[in-house]
Amino acid sequence: MLHLLKIDLKKMTSYRTFWVVCGLYFFTLGMTTASGMEFLKWLVRMGASFGTEINITRIPFYHFPDVWQNITYVSGFFKAILAFMVVISITNEFTYRTVRQNIIDGLSRKQFIISKVLTNILLSLMSMLMVFVIALVTGLVYSPTIVFTDLVMDLEFFGAYFLEVFAFLSFALLLGMVIQRSGLTIVILVLSQMIEAIIRANVDDYVPWLIPYFPMESISNLIPLPFPRYVFREIQDYVSITSVLVVAGWTFVFNYLAYLKLKKSDI
Amino acid sequence: MNPVLKIENLTKNFGRLCAVNNMNLQVGAGQVFGMLGPNGSGKTTTLGMLMNVVNPTSGSFKWFGEEATHHTRKKIGAVLEHPIFYPYLTGQKNLELTAMIKGANEAQIADVLRLVELSDRKDDKYRTYSLGMKQRLAIASALLNDPQVLILDEPTNGLDPMGIAEIRELIKKIASDGRTIILASHLLDEVQKVCTHFAVLKKGNMVYSGPVEDVSKGAETVEVKADVDLTDALSSFQGSSSVLRENGYFEVTLTDGVKSKDLNRFLFEKGIIASHLVTKKKSLEKQFLEILAESK
Repeated sequence: MLHLLKIDLKKMTSYRTFWVVCGLYFFTLGMTTASGMEFLKWLVRMGASFGTEINITRIPFYHFPDVWQNITYVSGFFKAILAFMVVISITNEFTYRTVRQNIIDGLSRKQFIISKVLTNILLSLMSMLMVFVIALVTGLVYSPTIVFTDLVMDLEFFGAYFLEVFAFLSFALLLGMVIQRSGLTIVILVLSQMIEAIIRANVDDYVPWLIPYFPMESISNLIPLPFPRYVFREIQDYVSITSVLVVAGWTFVFNYLAYLKLKKSDI
Repeated sequence: MNPVLKIENLTKNFGRLCAVNNMNLQVGAGQVFGMLGPNGSGKTTTLGMLMNVVNPTSGSFKWFGEEATHHTRKKIGAVLEHPIFYPYLTGQKNLELTAMIKGANEAQIADVLRLVELSDRKDDKYRTYSLGMKQRLAIASALLNDPQVLILDEPTNGLDPMGIAEIRELIKKIASDGRTIILASHLLDEVQKVCTHFAVLKKGNMVYSGPVEDVSKGAETVEVKADVDLTDALSSFQGSSSVLRENGYFEVTLTDGVKSKDLNRFLFEKGIIASHLVTKKKSLEKQFLEILAESK
């Protein structure tokens, strides 16, 4: 297993695009999630010029345990950039035809897919770790009092975040495997949320119970939108087991279909 | 002894096109096996199936007497069609990757690079290589893990005459180690120069297979010329099946068992001294064209 991961990493670590995209990903992710306070201050300045007063210290955005759900929720938007990298990685194998040579040299098709999936797991783990560090640091900086029970509360959002990223990267891998061209794959990947939303909107009158089982919908349901709680609305502040099971199911399906596709095709 | 490769009824259809039709073939250990055929005759498809990148429609094949798995492929070095590497990696890094996949010792990399004379360019990116260097790197990569079988598909494609000669020498050198080589080519003279056995493919059908030395067997042809007219003398020679006049020479096809020295003696006894007498070997090209023509 580790050997297969090393093979795929060897392909990536000397590839400049990989470092640029990953660098940009972690930079924008870090900057955005860590600068929420600055955003709120800006909001205050804007409000002040309109004569409204907002007291930002009243919004416990970065306080434990709120910070866990807030930051994992916002970070979820950036997974698309990581998915582009996955698309580039897999479609390169087809444009350069290196997947063919990999098989000729003695990798089985299953091993080839596993090597890509392992990289996806690693990327998801690193992203999760990064988000955890940011949330921990900002939480420590902005929380007025640090209570240990608050700190260890709601940590399951990181599990959900990992699954969210890994599921989306698996989807990207499948798309890249099927379409095999990077440009088109990225366009479809970006549009897939919208395409699914259109389909959902058209079927929700007939089969409303089916809606949570749609892949993109279930992925975004993993970590529910936390912000309405600051205007005193009820939110779901836990990870639902059903969502986890549905997304885990989809993740398996994506990766298995990618394997089937490779198994059946002449490369 | 088990053949290195045994193909049974191998067939591949691409939709309605039959790329390889019911092929049966055996390659023995130590053979340098040439696969001949015009472009599109199914050579690369066949090799693709043997390396599991093309799924056969029906039929089977065995490497080393056993069903092929990815473990068998590690014992085979293959370059199909054209060299394939990661363009953004250096030659060295590309070979390191191949070595990882094959489970070969990385220490071999320096050796194979030296063999194909790429040591001084190993740290340059693959995309900066010339075609000849790419071909040589592909051969180097195929040689990693000390393969028992080497499959080369058009290894001299697009090379200049010097490059072709280099690759040919390399193949001979590799073959002299007792390795089995399967060489697909449409360059007949290349196959004749290095191969021990050959098969001819035409539109997916194997129309001939046999040892290369058989090509030169059979009737000998002798080209003769003398200062005097030979028409009468040659027509009275018993051992000829046909006499043709071509470009000022006489081309005499001898009957079986008659050698060129017999003709020489005959002329000498007649008091004629030939100024030019050449025994012509039947070329593979001639044989190949004959086979293709016959199989219509």
